[in-house]
Amino acid sequence: MADRPAVAAPEVAVSAEFAGLASAERIATAAAALHRNGIDSHVTGSGAEARRLVSSLLPDGAEVYNNTSQTLEAIGVADDIERSGRYQPLRLRLYRMDREMQRREMRTLSASPEYVVGSVHALTEAGSLLIASASGSQLGPLVSGAGHVILVVGAQKIVSDVPTGTRRIYEYCFPLEDARARRAYGVPSGVNNILIINNVVTPGRVTAIIVNERLGF
Amino acid sequence: MSDRITPMSMFDYDARPVTPGVVLVGTRASRGAYAIRDFLTRNGYPFEWVDAEQPDAVAAVLGAPDLEPSALPLCILPDGSRLAAATVEQIAAGLGMIAAPSLAEYDLVIVGAGPAGLAAAVNAASEGLRTVVVEAVAPGGQAGTTSMIQNLLGFPDGISGSELATRAVVQARRFGAELLLARPLADVSADGPGYVARLSDGTLVRGGSLLFASGVDWRRLDVPGIDDLLGAGVYYGAGPSEALACTGSQVVVVGGGNSAGQAVVRFSRYAQQVTLLVRGRDLGASMSQYLIDHLSAIPNVEVRVRTQVAGLEADDRLRGIIVRSGDGSEPVQMPADALFICIGGNPRTDGAAGIGLATNAAGYLVTGPDGAGDRDGSWPLPREPLPLETNRPGVFAAGDVRCGSVKRCAAAIGEGSMAVALVHRRLAEVNGG
Repeated sequence: MADRPAVAAPEVAVSAEFAGLASAERIATAAAALHRNGIDSHVTGSGAEARRLVSSLLPDGAEVYNNTSQTLEAIGVADDIERSGRYQPLRLRLYRMDREMQRREMRTLSASPEYVVGSVHALTEAGSLLIASASGSQLGPLVSGAGHVILVVGAQKIVSDVPTGTRRIYEYCFPLEDARARRAYGVPSGVNNILIINNVVTPGRVTAIIVNERLGF
Repeated sequence: MSDRITPMSMFDYDARPVTPGVVLVGTRASRGAYAIRDFLTRNGYPFEWVDAEQPDAVAAVLGAPDLEPSALPLCILPDGSRLAAATVEQIAAGLGMIAAPSLAEYDLVIVGAGPAGLAAAVNAASEGLRTVVVEAVAPGGQAGTTSMIQNLLGFPDGISGSELATRAVVQARRFGAELLLARPLADVSADGPGYVARLSDGTLVRGGSLLFASGVDWRRLDVPGIDDLLGAGVYYGAGPSEALACTGSQVVVVGGGNSAGQAVVRFSRYAQQVTLLVRGRDLGASMSQYLIDHLSAIPNVEVRVRTQVAGLEADDRLRGIIVRSGDGSEPVQMPADALFICIGGNPRTDGAAGIGLATNAAGYLVTGPDGAGDRDGSWPLPREPLPLETNRPGVFAAGDVRCGSVKRCAAAIGEGSMAVALVHRRLAEVNGG
């Protein structure tokens, strides 16, 4: 969308190389590759459409954790999860818990949500998903902790291969996320962990929605 | 500067909502602002507190440092709308917490969403009864503000009162029970063999049977000037919303029960010093031993037995208290920034008078053949009242509000669960089942 800023933190200088939307052909290639890799894939034309699709994939009353994600916030999915009253938003439940006395229970709960909804930092044409994380806390549920995983991916995140995806994380995502973390939390971020999902063995566990719109970074 | 919680670890970022919460601007000494903080905290609703006496903090959220005092407490809802001179009722409505009952009639209307009420809701709904719970403030009841219940069956590592309530609400809803929150019961009237409960906003809820699981209110402390300091350093109950604001301060808790002990544990983690004032000779008569042991192991906690509050010292808020000891010595002054009164209890029987429910002298609802059946000739049926049944057929009582109940969370859960079997018997009697 032309009126959306290219990046969420425009004061940070990053290469435009990773900001442009992939062509329809590359989107179709990546979607087909995801499917081959055991990941249910969908392509939507807009964030609004993706929002409706996420909503249809989450059963009423489900326990849902929404990963920190500019994408989810931008298209309203974070709001739906935390505020619609349709689900049990795990973030709010964790917020209510005692940081000190219930630490173990908080760790257990956050490690194994029934549903986790998030995004990725790169999607390769061969259908690999790359996700970087400073704390790593959100990676465990994606790999195996969560019962179901739904990932919403802006089409600017499609790259040719894993090395290019890794470069996208370091050269593009990290500076923007670092600026965001400093603004939001007052601390720097870090590419401390990178998860690469090449293949999913449990059918139907992971769903990826590619949105033909520039979302998040 | 607002007392926004500074995240301490990456884990903290994962355990808070990412969407905007409520912003509440008010003065620390405001009773209305305290009521809202308490309501939001007990409902687990995230909010940012902004002290209206800090111009920079006010400017940061409102764009201007000045604020008409008449606009306080000011609440900014997640959608950006502002409520001036906000009340709990307005905020509950603004946050979409006010739901209408979905059915014209229920099999069981439960008054109170503490352990007894929620246990009844889970059991009733799981057995197919059309069940609704009406709750004045928030799920959890008195136990909901407990920092860690260590002796509840099945929770070897303990469970907090709010987490217990959260799980119970999820469980009750999963079985189809409804919860109508944030509105107290106004009155109850008879409606054929059943009853109609009217909530404070006029909502009518019809039920074939009724369960009072409304618990107890804290007993008022009879000290001159105390009402003027409510919310301004004096609080009834464990005041979970105030824990952070007690950082580094002198806290006094009054009471000898488990709720008082739990409050001391909570505040000891924030306050410089917590003093527990107990009227009795020792804690053993009223507090669980595990809590007594726990308190004795906390270095910044002092327990004073045979003491009571004789007076308060305050300017615009509480500054100190006068403590009288039972040994006849002169009363002594001690500094106090916050006083939490956790003495149970005045039974919450609002609405019960409309249908003439019998109580004992202290106001607790009497139940069963020994209590409700023979008091004043008001029992209308040839059969005796069932256990937990009041002197009105089909109206039951469970938990702290019931005369003779054991004032423990597990006991309340047991009574709430047990009441459902009796409700079945009553409904069968009425419906000819």
